[in-house]
Amino acid sequence: MDRPQTVDQLTRTLRDGDYLADRGLATALFVSLSLDRPILLEGEVGVGKTEVAKVIAEVFGRKLIRLQCYEGIEVNQALYEWDYARQMLAIRALSEQNLADEDSVDKLFGPNYLLERPLLEAVRAGDRAVLLIDEVDRADDEFEAFLLEVLSDFQVSIPEIGTIAAETKPIVILTSNRTRELHDALKRRCLYHWIGFPTAEQEVAIVMVREPGASEALAQKVVAAVNRLRGLELAKPPGVAESIDWVRTLDVLGENDLDARVAGDTLGAVIKERDDLELVRDNLEEITAGG
Amino acid sequence: MAEADSYVALFVDFANELRLAELSIGSGDVLSYCAAMAALDPTNLIDLYWGGRTTLVTRRDNIATYDSVFRRFFLDEADDLPAELKLDIRSHSELRSVLNVPATEPGVAGGDEQETRLGLVGSDIEVIKGKAFTACTPEELAALRRIMAQIRLSPPRRRTRRTASATSGRRPDPRRTVRETMRMHGEPSQLFWRRRRLRLRPLILILDVSGSMADYSRNLLQFAYSAKRASTRVEVFCFGTRLTRITRQLERRRVDDALARAAKVVFDWEGGTRIGDSIGAFVRDWGRRGLCRGGIVVICSDGLDRGDPAVLAAAMERLSRLCHRVVWMNPHKGNNVDFAPSTLGMMVAAPHIDLVLSGHDLNSLEELAELLPSLK
Repeated sequence: MDRPQTVDQLTRTLRDGDYLADRGLATALFVSLSLDRPILLEGEVGVGKTEVAKVIAEVFGRKLIRLQCYEGIEVNQALYEWDYARQMLAIRALSEQNLADEDSVDKLFGPNYLLERPLLEAVRAGDRAVLLIDEVDRADDEFEAFLLEVLSDFQVSIPEIGTIAAETKPIVILTSNRTRELHDALKRRCLYHWIGFPTAEQEVAIVMVREPGASEALAQKVVAAVNRLRGLELAKPPGVAESIDWVRTLDVLGENDLDARVAGDTLGAVIKERDDLELVRDNLEEITAGG
Repeated sequence: MAEADSYVALFVDFANELRLAELSIGSGDVLSYCAAMAALDPTNLIDLYWGGRTTLVTRRDNIATYDSVFRRFFLDEADDLPAELKLDIRSHSELRSVLNVPATEPGVAGGDEQETRLGLVGSDIEVIKGKAFTACTPEELAALRRIMAQIRLSPPRRRTRRTASATSGRRPDPRRTVRETMRMHGEPSQLFWRRRRLRLRPLILILDVSGSMADYSRNLLQFAYSAKRASTRVEVFCFGTRLTRITRQLERRRVDDALARAAKVVFDWEGGTRIGDSIGAFVRDWGRRGLCRGGIVVICSDGLDRGDPAVLAAAMERLSRLCHRVVWMNPHKGNNVDFAPSTLGMMVAAPHIDLVLSGHDLNSLEELAELLPSLK
């Protein structure tokens, strides 16, 4: 699918992929697509940061390449790695049969022995890919430096082969949960958008899109309850993902209404901290009251 | 064309206006802003707003500033809204302090009696004033600075998941082995190893700047500044009645600048103390996002809490589970070796503290610097 021409068109396209983006997110994504710039999404947990990348890959018919960051991630897990075992075997074979010639060393460090990791794969795929660099704040800050070259020029330097540059740029989406501030150098290369919690009406709409089998009345009730939970100063406030999970849980159990008893039984879908559970259990009546 | 030029001029003016409001915006950002607006419709107010916000703002904290400058620049609205907001924060805290006064109510007489017996009472009036940290005498400051610059804080190290080449270790290093093998014309000569690297744990300082700690807090702030200069991963927070993060304010080359900037953002200098609420706020807003995960949290306070002890106990328990070690520096400990916590706050916090030190003089700060690397 071609690039969208207007923000509204992009919003509709995302809607077709079952993702409801508000105007701010749609504009940010539209600008990112138009300018070929990576976009950095920050926001509370469970507001659909990762999901948006999946949906974009789906609606534009591109391959999603995901790089999940973690502490200690290194270049050879993110960019490329030589297939050492094969190289060793090849060296053995060459030396035993005296086959070594001028080219054999070049071949050892040629494409046959190169293992592609997500970033290299994305550079090679160009505009056939959506690159999702997930939870970049989990990686050590040294790792951000590796990302800089890739994100600004979309090229990867491999000493033995040379520089591989992307002919066309992939769509790049970075997400961060803000466990630490990212370096300004990285931020400068990206557009930035903060995804907040949606309004109650938007959230009901999102739940209905994601869980079409549920009744709207139930969705409204769940969203109202979740919104009250967010006001409780919990250690981990529930996100939109939790609202969807809750509706899904109730659906599985065949419950059509949310009252204190049902909520108490299914609280594990929304609250995932023991301290929070205790606090919420004391206030179940108020949380599930009304619609 | 002329129309496009006038738009660009307008956008550049807007970016300048944002710079005046202390947003850091480079020319490159302005370029991408203009490029973004070219893809959008600049006459549409919503596009105008989001186009700028997505290209010029890189931090969540700056969104409010962007909003107010946008309102002023494009909508000709005066800054009355932020002023109201500021007022609201103040009246809110005054309200809280009024609510918190019930020290004379019969219901809490028990707790009060205890505190009177102990002879230590935290101030319960929340005084909000921006008192300059530089109020110390020049001689004091100079002496402190000289000595503090010599204290090198090195938090304990931990083994990371990241590895580095080493002569011995547990994991082989195939990359280096293959490279060396090539060098030896295909003869595998030697096996190389990788070993996990060591890394400093983050250090988080939470300083009490309330009235009862005023004599110490100036020193502590100096100390925080030198700590911040000495080690890379240091976060500094202040609290009296509410928690303020001053890490960014301390990132200045000149110590006077840094302290003056910090003084500006701390509202409750020499006010009352609400340790429980402040630690709770730290855990909720910063701790659970992972700021102190695996780190050393140093709290400097006398433990004179005017809030509910249960709140402090709960907050300390969560904090101790989130971070690696909790160190509490209590100036009342002095040089007492067999110091037992006497304030209610210290008593409820005690089970969750790994190490209690005094923070009453420079010697004790040196002691902290000495003990820090051993907190593995």
